[in-house]
Amino acid sequence: MITIEALKEFGTDTDTGLKRVMGKEELYLRLVKTIPQNEGFAKLEEALENNDLNSAFEAAHGLKGVLCNLELSPLSDRVVEITEHLRAKDDADYRSMMEEILKLKDRLEQICNS
Amino acid sequence: MNDNFNDIQHLNRIVLIVDDEAVNREILGAMLEEEFTVIFAADGEEAMDIIEDSYRRLSCILLDLVMPGPDGFTVLKRLKSRNELKHIPVIVLTSEQEAEVKCLKLGAADFIKKPYSDPEVIRARVSRTIELSEDREYIRVVQKDELTGLYSRQFFYEYARTMDIYNKDGETDAVVLDVEHFHLINEMYGRGPADEVLFLVGGAIREFLETTEGIACRSDADIFLIYIRHQADYSELIKLIEKKVSAVLSSFHIRVRIGVYEKAMSNIVMEQRFSYARVASNTLRGKYGKDIAFYDPGMSERSIYQEHLISDIHGALKNNEFEVYYQPKFRITGDEPVLCSAEALVRWRHYEYGLIKPDEFLPVFEKNGLIRILDRYVWKKTIEQMREWRERAVFTLPVSVNVSRIDLYDEDMCEYLLDCLKENGLASEDIYLEITESAYTDDNDQLIKAINKLKAAGFKIEMDDFGSGYSSLNVITEMPIDFLKLDMNFIKRINEDEKVLHIVKLIIDMAKFMGVTMVAEGVEVEPQYEILRENGCEIVQGFYFSKPLPAMEFEICFAD
Repeated sequence: MITIEALKEFGTDTDTGLKRVMGKEELYLRLVKTIPQNEGFAKLEEALENNDLNSAFEAAHGLKGVLCNLELSPLSDRVVEITEHLRAKDDADYRSMMEEILKLKDRLEQICNS
Repeated sequence: MNDNFNDIQHLNRIVLIVDDEAVNREILGAMLEEEFTVIFAADGEEAMDIIEDSYRRLSCILLDLVMPGPDGFTVLKRLKSRNELKHIPVIVLTSEQEAEVKCLKLGAADFIKKPYSDPEVIRARVSRTIELSEDREYIRVVQKDELTGLYSRQFFYEYARTMDIYNKDGETDAVVLDVEHFHLINEMYGRGPADEVLFLVGGAIREFLETTEGIACRSDADIFLIYIRHQADYSELIKLIEKKVSAVLSSFHIRVRIGVYEKAMSNIVMEQRFSYARVASNTLRGKYGKDIAFYDPGMSERSIYQEHLISDIHGALKNNEFEVYYQPKFRITGDEPVLCSAEALVRWRHYEYGLIKPDEFLPVFEKNGLIRILDRYVWKKTIEQMREWRERAVFTLPVSVNVSRIDLYDEDMCEYLLDCLKENGLASEDIYLEITESAYTDDNDQLIKAINKLKAAGFKIEMDDFGSGYSSLNVITEMPIDFLKLDMNFIKRINEDEKVLHIVKLIIDMAKFMGVTMVAEGVEVEPQYEILRENGCEIVQGFYFSKPLPAMEFEICFAD
């Protein structure tokens, strides 16, 4: 079962995250559990594969909002990073950034299902 | 909780959160649900449906910008383009710096950044936004007069003061505008058309203000106040109002009166400036052909003087300051003029101002109804004087007294006179009643009733000032009068102006035809007397024969 401790270990600032939901731990954990299923990841991945940087930015931007609201670092840090590159339409290594994001998402999913 | 019923701040407000991300919706919901009833929409389409259904109950909308389908910008634009929706405050949820400016320009009330800051801060911002928006809405509702769309009085004065603060160097005018005889429109046509008149006047004022810097309000029923950059002339405003009203209500001819306190001095408080404008406007009462008056300090002195007269009347009655003078009337049908009656005229020997002429105080008392008290006083004094003359066998002449229009509305007027006569051993045939022509204008049926009652009691009726007002000739066919007294303005010009002479001849013929005795007053010089005599006028009165005299002098001059 997902726990605050496990999330802390993952690198999440659970204190800030919990404060944002008025200390409602149950709600917080339930919201975190929805993250691995968030459509944003698939949308981002697909847009990058199609080299559609505009759609990729939109997807990343949406994800960023949600992840930051839950203070889900380090996953949120990576998403913030890719969002900024996409906003500037940088010639960056999006593929490896995406891989990193998916890896962190998988780890989070394990925490959620443990 | 009953304690809170009278405090609407405690009523539960409904807040709509619009965000396509469930996580964001729920986090915000968790922050706000203790203080508000929170409802959610997952995209712009759903948001619009909810808003359409329940906009009357929505206190605030929290709106995400980036959403599939119609995004936040689109929703915001739609809300602001609709009159019934644009008052709902919208707080935009965004992490984009540039979007903030764009949203504020589109009419967003505030914005909340992602990731959300401290819940306390967010709750406070939502509460504050709702409070501001409700305050603005209350002001929007009460600051305007519903009928005319102009400001209400309280807000008007406040905004006028604000205008002064931001317009330090410009000259401004305080203007009072009122619709003459508005109460008659109300009584004759009813509330609907009367309101329509006010609506049209308000519309014309608004149109006038489109091209000139100023604000306006409706103060009392038919009184409008305008605070405006100094204008040289207000006749355009009057023309505009008359045009607007007659375009819609073609059978109405309304007359508006404008009083202006121009180039308002900044050290005079706002309300006082409008009192001055009001004083100016009041000087136009009953003056036909003049509809704009500018305030000058003399007007205030005059109105203060008139206030003094009003407050002094009761003391003056007690101290016998009012004196009755008598001016003789002569029958001129024979070889020599023969004294046939007299007119009782009031003078006021004021303890401070000395002898005051009747045209200074009578109009003031006519305006506020005090004339009834004074009229009765004069009737009584006259009757007592007549008794005294009879007891000493000096005169048995009939004397005429003046009756104001308002006296005729007193149910007991006839009884009062009869009692008074009886107490003094006199009868109704001994006094004549002079009723001014201007009394015959607004409610003739009631007047005819009152006059018939007096006639039936044996009084003779004299129509005073005939030709001075606006009554039509058929008034004299309707009224059961015995004497027709020509207005003195005709007599003044009778020996100078052929046309006037012609009119007077016509009136004399008409009076003869109707069997009414013709009286001319204001006869000052011999040629006037001669012309009147030659043309068949029967009775004359004026300085050529005698000015009005105190009883004792009258007695000395005219007793046999």
